[in-house]
Amino acid sequence: MSIGEPTMKGDRLRQNMAVTKKAKLKKSDEPTKTSQVTASEKGEESKRYSLWNFWISTLFLKLLLIPDYFSTDFDVHRNWLAITNKLPMSEWYYEHTSQWTLDYPPFFAYFEWFLSQFVPKVVRDDGCLDIVKVGKFGLPTIVFQRLTVIISEILLFAVLQIYINTTKLSERSQSFVVASSIVLSPGFLMIDHIHFQYNGFLFAILIGSIVAAKNKKYLWCAVLYTTSICFKHIFLYLAPCYFVFLLRAYVLNVNNFKFKSYKDFLFLIRWANLFKLGSIVIGIFTICFLPFAHQMPQVLSRLFPFSRGLTHAYWAPNFWALYSFMDKILTTIMLKLPYVHMFATKLIKPPLIPKDIKEINERLLANNGSKGLVQDVFFVILPQIPPKLTFILTLFYQILAVLPILFDPSFKRFIGSLTLCGLASYLFGWHVHEKAIMLVIIPFTFLVGFDRRLLVPFMLVASAGYVSLYPLLFKGQDYFIKSLYTYVWCIIYFAAFRKTTKISSSVERRIFFLDRLALTYIFSLLPMVTVLQILDEVKWRYSFLQKFEFLGLMAYSVYCSLGIISSWFALSWLYNFDELLWQ
Amino acid sequence: MAIGKRLLVNKPAEESFYASPMYDFLYPFRPVGNQWLPEYIIFVCAVIVRCAIGLGPYSGKSTPPLHGDFEAQRHWMEITQHLPLSKWYWYDLQYWGLDYPPLTAFHSYLLGLIGTFFNPSWFALDKSRGFESPDNGLKTYMRSTVIISDILFYFPAVIYFTKWLGRYRNQSPIGQSIAAAAILFQPSLMLIDHGHFQYNSVMLGLTAYAINNLLDEYYAMAAMCFVLSICFKQMALYYAPIFFAYLLSRSLLFPKFNIARLTVIAFATLATFALMFAPLYFLGGGLRNIYQCIHRMFPFARGIFEDKVANFWCVTNIFVKYKERFSIQQLQLYSLVATVLGFLPAMMMTLLHPKKHLLPYVLIACSMSFFLFSFQVHEKTILVPLLPITLLYSSTDWNVLSLVSWINNVALFTLWPLLKKDGLHLQYVVSFLLTNWLIGNFSFITPRFLPKSLTPGPSISSINSDYRRRSLLPYNVVWKSFIIATYIAMGLYHFLDLFVAPPTKYPDLWVLLNCAVGFICFSIFWVWSYYKIFTSGNKSMKDL
Repeated sequence: MSIGEPTMKGDRLRQNMAVTKKAKLKKSDEPTKTSQVTASEKGEESKRYSLWNFWISTLFLKLLLIPDYFSTDFDVHRNWLAITNKLPMSEWYYEHTSQWTLDYPPFFAYFEWFLSQFVPKVVRDDGCLDIVKVGKFGLPTIVFQRLTVIISEILLFAVLQIYINTTKLSERSQSFVVASSIVLSPGFLMIDHIHFQYNGFLFAILIGSIVAAKNKKYLWCAVLYTTSICFKHIFLYLAPCYFVFLLRAYVLNVNNFKFKSYKDFLFLIRWANLFKLGSIVIGIFTICFLPFAHQMPQVLSRLFPFSRGLTHAYWAPNFWALYSFMDKILTTIMLKLPYVHMFATKLIKPPLIPKDIKEINERLLANNGSKGLVQDVFFVILPQIPPKLTFILTLFYQILAVLPILFDPSFKRFIGSLTLCGLASYLFGWHVHEKAIMLVIIPFTFLVGFDRRLLVPFMLVASAGYVSLYPLLFKGQDYFIKSLYTYVWCIIYFAAFRKTTKISSSVERRIFFLDRLALTYIFSLLPMVTVLQILDEVKWRYSFLQKFEFLGLMAYSVYCSLGIISSWFALSWLYNFDELLWQ
Repeated sequence: MAIGKRLLVNKPAEESFYASPMYDFLYPFRPVGNQWLPEYIIFVCAVIVRCAIGLGPYSGKSTPPLHGDFEAQRHWMEITQHLPLSKWYWYDLQYWGLDYPPLTAFHSYLLGLIGTFFNPSWFALDKSRGFESPDNGLKTYMRSTVIISDILFYFPAVIYFTKWLGRYRNQSPIGQSIAAAAILFQPSLMLIDHGHFQYNSVMLGLTAYAINNLLDEYYAMAAMCFVLSICFKQMALYYAPIFFAYLLSRSLLFPKFNIARLTVIAFATLATFALMFAPLYFLGGGLRNIYQCIHRMFPFARGIFEDKVANFWCVTNIFVKYKERFSIQQLQLYSLVATVLGFLPAMMMTLLHPKKHLLPYVLIACSMSFFLFSFQVHEKTILVPLLPITLLYSSTDWNVLSLVSWINNVALFTLWPLLKKDGLHLQYVVSFLLTNWLIGNFSFITPRFLPKSLTPGPSISSINSDYRRRSLLPYNVVWKSFIIATYIAMGLYHFLDLFVAPPTKYPDLWVLLNCAVGFICFSIFWVWSYYKIFTSGNKSMKDL
């Protein structure tokens, strides 16, 4: 169909490039020589890469989305507005009238308090600031809260505009593609403006730290990253990467290091820098947590509720989704063919798998009580997964991703390892939300421009990741918007990245078959989504569809996890074994 | 990519929307390798905006007992699938009896069947009146049927039109796409179809297909499409004199007397009509049923106007109380005479000088005179003249573009009382801002207060950075000041409507003000279309 076309052209082009070697990919917007002489004489300077138009156009769309469906997160944030506005600070983290207790770090609570200062009287009378079990509110509250999201998101545009303006002129069109792809991201549209959250604003801070790292402003990088953690602690997943990067790039002085005695290790460290960095990080944490110093255990128990289960209400498309899927398949097989179970018990000793069919049935029964939809997932055949294991796996893959920075603290390496850290935590983490995929896609967007071969993994993770968000907006009325918006975003930006990414010097090592496979995978997302939507609409008609209601969600998470995991494989391979890419 | 044929850049055809945000957005897709993209992008974006508008309320939501147009359409889906054809035009006429031609009925029948597959309770006979499902299922279904009808009928017709024109005058694909986008983002149609809820895009799309066929000189096909359009909504008859004159002239006078062509056209017309009405005859009730259908289509008993509408009768009714002074028969006669006098010059011109480039103008003149002078006009009917008007967005003449953009805003303005009743305030404001911003009407603002690095415009496009961004206003000072005055009047109206209660003696005063402004603008535009018809007879399609 439509995406296939530029691929083939792109491949042909790539081969041409490989022959001529000197040809650089022409920027799509280069002025034509024949008629626009004046413009091309003025050159790059006269071109301004502004996100203004993007802001305006998406603003219109977002305004139209105000009456759309919103999730319980809307009431969560409304409740936080009420808590921070009505209660003294000391009670913020104790308040539990509503089940939506405050479970974000204090900076976000301050932010909610700040927003609550602007609540107009109409909205106040509407019940926006009432601390109640379930919020009762009408249109004024909806308009107000939606507007706070829209306005706070301006920060994202501002940060990315700074990113564009601080890049070199020659790379500006590429950074423009990166920046505009982020501000137009279907993820932010779906999560923030329909589902309701403040990710645009929160990610703006994280992106700020990435931009600072790119511009070698390490202190700013630390400040912004620490701030972002104090707003939303999910960013802690990226901490190993930031830690090692700042340590190696800012604190350690490896270049002039010569080992003569152990005393020399003292000179390995730039003490002044360490002091600056440390005091800044500690300072920010202090500002954040000081008012709550005497109730830290309560705050921490709110921030890290380990009582939750391995997978979220609906399985995020990660490794555990595949694991659960395997478990389901094995259960069915073993129930249908007891021989398989007998054979399996020969190989694996019983504590690891159920003793006999009876035990399988018992476990199934125990599971059915909860329908698999509540917090705890209980595996029937495969071994249970303790939180510790997920933690170890995550950390292991993160360390693998972080190690290369120790040797080469370039921005390219940093952003690569950031993406891999995000991926590792997403794939193996405990109780991962499908929304966490933004933690992967955003850093990856900055990475993809460096090499054409990164494009395929990026396309995989972006398309599968955005599609995996669809079950969040389960209402039929959003079907067209979410699928068409993602579709048009993919068409525009896959083509735009193809134009602006650098051609890799090691073209011959690409495996074209895998590219084709990835494209097939991406195309199949479209029919999958459509078929699942139609099945969902007519499921009341056929009893077998109701019986297997969870199959729709399972199809989403299994299919999307395939894409995300293969993207992780591809990126890890390139990251670890392709030296040319990272020079 | 950069190799390959370059299309000329400084063609005047492209300058029409220079430095508008739309131009900025599409500029990166200029190189030959990317040219396939803008069409998709515009297409999908236009659908997304329609979906987003559709999230708003619809006409008659939660207002029993009669609800509104949404309920009417749903009701037709209900009765067509549950009743035999012989009853369609007879069943409980007090409650939204079917009053559109057969194609609408068939369309409703099909959509009703599909909808019943999803959920039968949406269309249960009699029980489903005023149905509103808690999960918005019915609304979602109905909205998506409009969107799909729009995609099937209106979008391809518009895109074909702009492509045809673009190819004819060697316009670059970007220029074509921008024209298509300007047409597809027309706010009035989006709001009426996807907000208020109707299926006008089907009728307009079929008419646009007919126009395309005229451009391609497939006359029989044109006749067929046009008849289908009439058979979907009788409002398409507003164009009928022109199609009739054009086809007649093309077969009898130009280029020569061609009886074969005339026969084919006549056959196509009659056959299509016959095909549409045959089921009514054969499957239910014979001629009586057809009479009833036609009787339902033309409700002459209903008075010269119903709600307030920006046409001659409603506005002059302030001074002359027609309904008291004249009988309905007299009024019918007067309005008929006035309408005929209104479109006759355009029809004669078409008969004697059937040129393609005049088509939009004569269609405007004709349908506008229907809108201004005919009997029983609704405010929504302005969509009919708006189709040929909006097709002129593919023009390259700055003055024409300016007037088109202006009259589109006026038309949207006259729809405000209706949209306000539906609760579509937000959608009204946003689509007004969006469409005007897209074609560059607000571009003059940005350089004034934005820092230089943020100013869009020459950002990604390679236009000279000192290029002065203008709104779409004609060059002529008189025109310019007149248009600005009307904008001020419209602003004033909105201010009054929002903040000042009308005097108790005249509760409709503000609405009448709205109609008066609309009427003045429409009639001036109507006169202007005649001016264009008589002055541009010798030009060609290239100068459209």
